[in-house]
Amino acid sequence: MELSFEKEIGLLKLGAGQVFHGEGILAVTKALLQSGVSYIGGYQGSPVSNLLDVMVQAQHALDELGIHVEACTNESSAAAMLGASIMYPVRGAVTWKSIVGTNVAADALSNLSSPGVIGGVLIVVGEDYGEGASVIQERTHSFAMKSTMVLLDPRPDLPTVVRLTQKAFEISEASNMPCMMSLRIRLCHLRGSFVASDNRAAAVSTRHRLAGPASFNYEKLSHPPVTFLQERRKVEERLPAARRFILEQALNEVLPGEASRLGLIVQGGLSANLIRALQTMGLADAQGDPALPVLILNVVYPLVPEQIKDFCAGKEAVLVLEEGQPEYIEQEVATILHRSGSPCQVHGKDFLKLPGEYSTETLLRGLEPFAQHYAAQLGAAAAGQARAWFGQVQGWRQQAAQVLVQPIPARPPTFCVGCPERPVFSALKLVREQIGATHISTDIGCHAFATFPPFSFGNSILGYGMSMASAAAVAPLSQRRPLAIMGDGGFWHNGLLSGVASNLLNGGDGVLLIMKNGYTSATGTQELISSPDDMLKQVAGARSATDTETTIEDTLKGMGVRWLRTVHTYRVAQMKAALVEAFATPAQGLKVIVAEGECQLERQRRIRPQIAASLSRGERVVRTRFGVDEQVCSGDHACVRLSACPSLTIREARDPLKVDPVAWVTPDCVGCGLCGENAHAATLCPSFFKVEVIQHPGLADRLRDALRRLVLRWFGGRSEPVQVPA
Amino acid sequence: MSASPQAPAIRKILVLALGGEGGGTLTEWLVSAGLDSGWPIQATSIPGVAQRTGATSYYIECLPLVPAPGQTVPPMCLAPLPGDLDLIISSELLESARAIERGLADPRRTVMISSTARAFTVDERGGMADGRLPAQKLISALQEGSARVALFDMGQLAREQGTIVSAVMFGALAGAGVLPLTRAACEKAVAGGAADARAQASLRGFAAGFERAVALLAGAPGAPASDPIEPPRAGQRPEGLAQIRALGMARLVDYQDQAYAERYAARVDALARGEAAPHAASCEAARGLALWMSYEDIIRVADLKSRRSRFEQIRRDYKAGPGEPVIVRDFLKPGVEEIAAILPPRWASRLKDWGRRRQRVSFGEGVQLATSSVTGLLAMRLLASLRWLRPRSSRFIAEQALIERWLSALQCCQRADAGLAAAVAALPRLIKGYGSTHERGQGSFRHILEQLVEPGLASAGSPQAFVDLALRIREAQRVALAQPEGHELFRLLGMSPPAPREQTLHFTPPARRRP
Repeated sequence: MELSFEKEIGLLKLGAGQVFHGEGILAVTKALLQSGVSYIGGYQGSPVSNLLDVMVQAQHALDELGIHVEACTNESSAAAMLGASIMYPVRGAVTWKSIVGTNVAADALSNLSSPGVIGGVLIVVGEDYGEGASVIQERTHSFAMKSTMVLLDPRPDLPTVVRLTQKAFEISEASNMPCMMSLRIRLCHLRGSFVASDNRAAAVSTRHRLAGPASFNYEKLSHPPVTFLQERRKVEERLPAARRFILEQALNEVLPGEASRLGLIVQGGLSANLIRALQTMGLADAQGDPALPVLILNVVYPLVPEQIKDFCAGKEAVLVLEEGQPEYIEQEVATILHRSGSPCQVHGKDFLKLPGEYSTETLLRGLEPFAQHYAAQLGAAAAGQARAWFGQVQGWRQQAAQVLVQPIPARPPTFCVGCPERPVFSALKLVREQIGATHISTDIGCHAFATFPPFSFGNSILGYGMSMASAAAVAPLSQRRPLAIMGDGGFWHNGLLSGVASNLLNGGDGVLLIMKNGYTSATGTQELISSPDDMLKQVAGARSATDTETTIEDTLKGMGVRWLRTVHTYRVAQMKAALVEAFATPAQGLKVIVAEGECQLERQRRIRPQIAASLSRGERVVRTRFGVDEQVCSGDHACVRLSACPSLTIREARDPLKVDPVAWVTPDCVGCGLCGENAHAATLCPSFFKVEVIQHPGLADRLRDALRRLVLRWFGGRSEPVQVPA
Repeated sequence: MSASPQAPAIRKILVLALGGEGGGTLTEWLVSAGLDSGWPIQATSIPGVAQRTGATSYYIECLPLVPAPGQTVPPMCLAPLPGDLDLIISSELLESARAIERGLADPRRTVMISSTARAFTVDERGGMADGRLPAQKLISALQEGSARVALFDMGQLAREQGTIVSAVMFGALAGAGVLPLTRAACEKAVAGGAADARAQASLRGFAAGFERAVALLAGAPGAPASDPIEPPRAGQRPEGLAQIRALGMARLVDYQDQAYAERYAARVDALARGEAAPHAASCEAARGLALWMSYEDIIRVADLKSRRSRFEQIRRDYKAGPGEPVIVRDFLKPGVEEIAAILPPRWASRLKDWGRRRQRVSFGEGVQLATSSVTGLLAMRLLASLRWLRPRSSRFIAEQALIERWLSALQCCQRADAGLAAAVAALPRLIKGYGSTHERGQGSFRHILEQLVEPGLASAGSPQAFVDLALRIREAQRVALAQPEGHELFRLLGMSPPAPREQTLHFTPPARRRP
């Protein structure tokens, strides 16, 4: 695992009255422990990976709580795990990244929600929407609506988040509905404080197990004919119970304001941005008290019609500030008011833009026409202040654009220095040059960075583990074999079944490239069933530990894959040859290349302490780094176009006659060897060299070195070529 | 809403870094120093996949006072509002300019502390020529767009102190005085209770950054943003034809011999006669000609790689300690083309024919030659001693012919139009690299010479036609340099691009479903 949570585990043990200072997602984790959960599960993904990771590492430290922690193989298995709370009075929480994880979990969620739960259930979803998002932009809201689950969207402030996390279990039990809590990226990473309470051990736990199974009760099965009854209960019993709870516990908040003829209704998660926007246009004071009433919906589903009607009573108009589309909340508010015959006008997406993240600036752009329209109630100054602000910012941006002349180029994420996946794409680029392009279906994972320059690979991305399946209809319709690229994470998430099994069942053709780096690296190097165990790692030492771990190969063979090659990723020429053979072989059927190379982050984490220990013991250690001979480099940068390693960059040539910058290897280089492999495989140039500095040399090293220096002095005496006085 | 003019102001700070630079650690230090002072403080970030070397940002809001009991703290926000920032601190110059481009800084209020270090984007690194954004433009954007600017190379400072850049950044942040944090509180946060070597290095980095920021921001607020640091400096470039000619001659003596250098000088002098001072086109042509005439063949590469000065430079660059042996392994893969290049024409064509028949472009898989070893060094010196072969070699003869052809075209251009001469003088910049890269570059050069320059000179009559021709040549060169592996140049010249090397691909339609 990428991060160590030693310090954070201490935070999870805080008792009543102690102050927690830490990250939002860990505050939620602490709140789960304060709520007496019996089990926790989930599937990793930014921004909620830390919840599960810290619990996996804290299991022993929190042993007295008897919580079962499961790192599930995908979100579907995580959601199904919640089935424990249908029949047993146990609280459970799972987590994943949304919208993608919720999509994968959807089947289990429907079957969970239909019978309902008796133990409180919380699904913590990382809402990957807007700036920094890495997934398709859709709303989790529709899942809550269609499966009748409570959906929380808390105000971004840690005490509120912790309170709502605990209330989530109560509302779930009060209504028998599963509860989801949507946390935006910045809230998950928010460093803040709250006053902790004691952790609570659950009545049923791994330390106090159930004596026997629940008695048979057909009404708890999501199977006809009871599904009709369950559907009626959702409407007649569960939703009203949830609404009662929301009102009684005051889960939503109302901020008063003097301009009481108007009002704002906002999702809890957006409320901080809203207050900042109001302050900017003079509609809130420095303390954040607004000039007009605001209803903050910490529970965005279900809405409470009485609360909406109360808030809108006597108002001329309200503005609903709701991120994403379709605008479910706005539509429901309008319906509630319409049915009650209220004259209050409902605004929302008529002023605010339909898609995208609602940053403070975006909110300002929607509030400005609202304030203009209702200038009689709000005063004319507000809209003018907003417009003045737009003008000012616009001016700064124009000025910058003028000075810069050209737009600043993007800096997308890329493979780490020393990443074992980069060489595969160097090889693939060479293959494309040699035999031409073919359809490439790509996938989710670090290898998706190959969709960015200088590689720019990929004709489709259909979801995690879906690359092989997404080429199922491309292969039979193409003259060239398509290539599907998949990480080992995606392979175990579902690629094995949706891709490989389906291809074998249908006697398909095509090439599958599996990146076997040993972990789900993009999400923080969590373990897989095929991760090398401690013994393999120990044996591997500084080498890649994934070459002796053959679970993936064994599985493929067992399923009937006949054309299977495992190639170490750093052997660029071999990888190129294997790919060309896979595309060109007359052999029928699925061809799988397992690109083996352990995640560099994990490998470095293992060997860095080993090297430090060796050095401190005075043992012989070889430090390896690559370099470019500046005099030999002609500055064509073909090497950069073939690798784009962050440590392979350019700098001013010291040769006064060379005007273009030459290639240069920065001190960040970890000596992975790709530069040399590429120089060979692509017959690039003779500029690359490898330097091995021997620390604490032995006697043989020193003797050999002395001889070398002597020979160098005799034969290597030529001076530098260009030494002309200015 | 109550009117409370004394409501305390929240301070807002944006930290810009690249993934893996320790921006998270910096944020943690800042939060813990703030908490230690009893202030309400919160911080957030968008790390996500940006941790994999992409651009990343951290945003901190803080109320620099200890709230009275019962005093409510105004709500804090999780993302910066354009213009509403007290301080932007950034480890990379382009990212600082990006913040200005997005309108995040208020030129009347925001203090900008930026490293002058550049981590070039893939776009900037990957071109055939020089795709870097000019540093001076980026610096101007910072100066125009912020109230006060402090610029220094944070990475350099961090390396000097043996620590990572986040320690220097935190020092600069504390030194900027935007937050009234005491230096002691910050140092306590950095040390984190540890007294190990790593903490010591962090503290040294912190101190270095602190002092630099204090010194650079010493001017009164509102004073014109001064830039006490020189922008990243270009290498010392020769000026004037005489200097370039001297450099070129020295290079070619080193490359071959005095006679060869004089041949160069004669070519340069012929060009100079065709142009009035300051000889702009001749300068560029003389520069390119010196590089072209010292093209890198096996002999030259072996010579450069086996010099004592090279090994001394490597020891310095790679920080080898006095008693630490250094082994240098060179990655060499001499192809058929490279061997043929140093053979006389008849032998060369036989070897190339053989290579074509056998479909071989290289011998074997390539070698890692330990040039630092006794045998490796002697082998390289032996190759280097073959320079007497060079004037009779096939490549030498071919290169001289192409050079003459280009020079004669250039001389025609000199007579026609100065702008046209300048465009043609710059063309050798296309010929770079080794192997297929060199082949493509030389191909581009030939195509432009044959399809544009020569026919253009033959047909154009009016001065305007020469101006147009120069424009088209420049555009063709730009396209060829920007997309070396692409086919844009072929489209521009109306030629059909070369077909990929064909290889039989077997593809069987899917079999019937298994019974």
